[in-house]
Amino acid sequence: MSITVALDVTERAKPPRAVFVPFRMGHHFGVPFHRSLQRRIIMDALAYVEHARISGDVHRLPITWAQARREGLELEAAFPYRR
Amino acid sequence: MMDNSEGAQLRPGLWDTVNERYPGSMIVSADDVALVPLTRPIREARVAFVSSAGVQPRGTLPFDVVHPVGDYSFRRVPSTSRVEDLEIHQLKYPTDGAARDLNVIFPIERLQELAAEGAIGGLTPEFFSFIGYNMDPVSFERTLAQELADAVVAEQPDVVLLAPA
Repeated sequence: MSITVALDVTERAKPPRAVFVPFRMGHHFGVPFHRSLQRRIIMDALAYVEHARISGDVHRLPITWAQARREGLELEAAFPYRR
Repeated sequence: MMDNSEGAQLRPGLWDTVNERYPGSMIVSADDVALVPLTRPIREARVAFVSSAGVQPRGTLPFDVVHPVGDYSFRRVPSTSRVEDLEIHQLKYPTDGAARDLNVIFPIERLQELAAEGAIGGLTPEFFSFIGYNMDPVSFERTLAQELADAVVAEQPDVVLLAPA
């Protein structure tokens, strides 16, 4: 199961199962300290392992980078002393 | 800033850009690989994690990030590792988020939590990491990919999560 931010690369490499998150390179699991988002991406990817039916299909997770950033900033504002 | 409201790829045309800069370096698969069905539910599945983010335990030989055709080795990362004991040697993707919270690219703490809570069956003793900057796809497939695949299979995972940085 590939978790990718590069949809065009993944569609050519054709891993049998893949989920796409529209995030920055190097930020496949979201933004710093956003634990629930990091967990959600892992669990959504694992759920797709069970649900995928066609090899090479890339499943898009319904989230945007803007949403992830906004939620991350809100978390950091609420807990400013995280490491 | 690019409009990402529809969930589009944040940096479009990546394959074409890299292939133009390094002709022949990008992998294209002609065939689909048959799906292998999961043999047990996720809550019972043993999960491995493989990353091209260049994450490695402190004190291990750093990846050669300036070699002209790449570094075709991989590192084992114990799944019990603390993030404080890991470091990144890779230049080809933004690491500003990972520098503050490694879990944005190598979510080892989240995987440890999910295993402890029983959301997944467990973790393989070893995770794996390499660097994605490898300019010879033939060498990549014949050396790194094959050796890494053998090492991952030896861990007997039910599921392997791959995060190509």
